[in-house]
Amino acid sequence: MRYITVLPEFIPMEEVKATVSQILPEMEIVNDLSLDKYEAEVLVATTFTKLSRKELEKFPNLKYIQIASTGYDNVDISYVKEKGIALCNIPIANKQSVAEHVIAFSLVFLKDMMFLNQEMKSGNWPMLTGSRDLEGKAFGIVGMGMIGIQLAKRLLPFNVTILYYDIRRMKEEDEAKYGLNYMELDDLIKNADIISIHLPLTDKTRGMFGEREFSMMKDGAIFINTARGEIVDIDALLKAIKTKGIKAGLDVFPEEPPDFNSEIFKMDNVIVSPHIAGVTLESQQRFLTETISNVLRYAQGLDPLYRVL
Amino acid sequence: MRGYDAFSQTLKDLKLLPVFGNPGTTELSALRHVEDYVLTLFDGISVGMADGFSQFYGSPSIVNLHSVPGLGNSMSFIYTAKMNRTPLIITAGQQDQRHLLMEPLLSGNLLSFVGENVKFKYELTKAEEIPSAIRKAKMIATTPPTGPVFLSIPMNLMDEEINYEKQDDISINYNTNNKEVLDYVSEIINSAKNPSIVFGWEVDFFNAFKEAEELAEKLGCAVYSEPLSHRAPFLSSSKYFAGDLMPGSTLINLKLLQNDVIIFLGGDITLYPYLPSPILKGKKVIFLGMNIQPKFGEFYNVNVKIFMRELKDKIKRKCNFAKPLDLGMTTKIANERSNMGINYVFSKIKKEFSSYTVVDEAVSSSYILRNFMGYSHNTYFTAKSGQLGWALPAGAGIAMKHNKTLAILGDGALMYSVQTLWTLKRYKIPLKIIVLKNGGYVILKSYASSYYPDMENKAFLNFDLDIEKISSSFGIESMVAGNDMDELKWLAEGEEPKLLVVNVDRSVPKLFL
Ligand SMILES: Cc1ncc(C[n+]2csc(CCOP(=O)(O)OP(=O)(O)O)c2C)c(N)n1
Repeated sequence: MRYITVLPEFIPMEEVKATVSQILPEMEIVNDLSLDKYEAEVLVATTFTKLSRKELEKFPNLKYIQIASTGYDNVDISYVKEKGIALCNIPIANKQSVAEHVIAFSLVFLKDMMFLNQEMKSGNWPMLTGSRDLEGKAFGIVGMGMIGIQLAKRLLPFNVTILYYDIRRMKEEDEAKYGLNYMELDDLIKNADIISIHLPLTDKTRGMFGEREFSMMKDGAIFINTARGEIVDIDALLKAIKTKGIKAGLDVFPEEPPDFNSEIFKMDNVIVSPHIAGVTLESQQRFLTETISNVLRYAQGLDPLYRVL
Repeated sequence: MRGYDAFSQTLKDLKLLPVFGNPGTTELSALRHVEDYVLTLFDGISVGMADGFSQFYGSPSIVNLHSVPGLGNSMSFIYTAKMNRTPLIITAGQQDQRHLLMEPLLSGNLLSFVGENVKFKYELTKAEEIPSAIRKAKMIATTPPTGPVFLSIPMNLMDEEINYEKQDDISINYNTNNKEVLDYVSEIINSAKNPSIVFGWEVDFFNAFKEAEELAEKLGCAVYSEPLSHRAPFLSSSKYFAGDLMPGSTLINLKLLQNDVIIFLGGDITLYPYLPSPILKGKKVIFLGMNIQPKFGEFYNVNVKIFMRELKDKIKRKCNFAKPLDLGMTTKIANERSNMGINYVFSKIKKEFSSYTVVDEAVSSSYILRNFMGYSHNTYFTAKSGQLGWALPAGAGIAMKHNKTLAILGDGALMYSVQTLWTLKRYKIPLKIIVLKNGGYVILKSYASSYYPDMENKAFLNFDLDIEKISSSFGIESMVAGNDMDELKWLAEGEEPKLLVVNVDRSVPKLFL
């Protein structure tokens, strides 16, 4: 069987080659797909390599594509469907990283870090601060999937009240285990001091947080989005930031990279990061391990896990 | 002298008592004057007990099985003894030769039945052979590579009259050395860029821990233990010990990625499950030892204890490795306390039982057990074969003379040889038992989650047992551990066998790639 891995240029090739030769010597490693034709049955790639119809047509024998990340927007889905190729991602490597990122956003706001940091670097010693505790706050998790659970687990020792909403309610014993209170979405929005979104982008979730939802939020509440930008109506959010003192921690945007002239980037109440909540050195290592495991699974004659198509 | 007296006298002369067994009519004649017999209520248990006894005390032992049924019931234990390289003399009665042609009840081709699982097998043809056949059997069992041998003894021989000749016990001396190999291996290590040593179970067999530690100290590089070692391979407290190799080619390759030369001392490679990476390709791999059967690379037959002692003076220091402290474990333990996570449970067991010999059939928790309980001389035993049901009898065999023996078993593992509890009670064997109760075959669930995720929740991977009742029905005192695990103190107290059930976290760990 033939295997090929396409790596972006910035990854050290020689090191990877030395390692891969000890794992799967049949694996070829390349930087681009510039040849006309490839014999490989298995293609491993990151999201940095565009796999449109044009590239994929070069692989007449292709049976399985493994993308070494959660997202796979770089792959031409219709071509993959048409040819019956197995497409897999790695959905399990970065959930703890995202959960930590959400807690970081919350704490930076609650502890007034940005302000204090700014003041001291300007030579001031502020006597008063709006710093708050996370303990005792009501933390609303919208979407209780793998990331939601990781977040809940980490919040429990902070002694927060955890509210959650999901289209499917969990079993009672699991709710008890993680200390979760189930609420309908509107109730959660009204009661939470902090709201964090952990939903996939679907027709139902697109624009799920709009003017109506923000109007129900507590004044001064913290709103965090590390899921998908399109779930939130950014103009409605902007308005809520201005009128209700909502604080927003945003890792994702409707368009990425976003228009930096947008008012969002000028607000004190907004902290942003460039869609990297799940990207840490440690999560990259887990992506690598899981990718290797899945390709080996295929090489062993088993069905690879995490098939999305 | 009658055959049965020749039999019992030979066992005395060759220091082969006690006999472990479960007899039938075809063996009664042989046992007529045997003075020291340990009865087990399932045939295989006697082989498991003899295995533990033999390994711990460093001397071969003898088992008495009942013809085809007894041998059949014991096959997996015999296979384990073969993999463990345990010198055992397994005997079974054969039907009366005078009507074998009639294929009477309990007759059968025992030699073909025992198959390739023994080094030597023989069916005695006349009573005169009783002493010499047993002596030959002992000699072959104890000659490297050591292992089980089998004698089929027709029942009628025992009543025949023979002239008994006293058998001199065999003398075993493993102190061979090979200077050429020593020069060759030291040269390879000295010219290596980044050598590593993998120690194996023979370090325990020869009690060569001091030599192994001094060798590692001189070399200065990270050292490992062979995958799934069935005895202690190295002092795990040593700063050079970088842990156990895992039994998968990919995992071994990744661990030894930076090494160009890998020397296996008294150990071998055991793989499970299949992974497609060709093992240690392009590296110089040398196996050294007496009882091992390497599958690739180079192999030289040496006594590792003597070899290491001399190798140390011939090699140069190559690295400055020191194992980093695992301070994160404290957090893990604290986190796992409320739900009886395995790290928490073992942190508690370790406190109470650190001076004990541990016999391990903790299965999905075995790697954590190894990590916590550690390795040193005669402190760790498990089955090399993957058989379940071995640890309880083997622990019983060890505890016959060693009152600090602890068997740690999964709730599944307990049930394969649970009748051992009766033997413990009957012979007042002070074995302490911990059963890690997780209500199912967790390792199979873990395998399923890696390879067939739809199977993880299959009903047939779960069961619920009332282990306390089972234990008390054999007359063994038992308790269930509370969250503080204070019951461990109760378990350690006293000279009677006891069993502690620990209800552990039931979540499924990721154990496969
Ligand atoms: C004699 C025998 N039968 C079956 C097996 C297959 N097997 C391997 S592990 C295992 C499950 C062990 O369960 P348990 O002892 O409860 O440990 P856990 O995996 O739950 O930690 C089984 C059934 C075996 N190894 N040996």
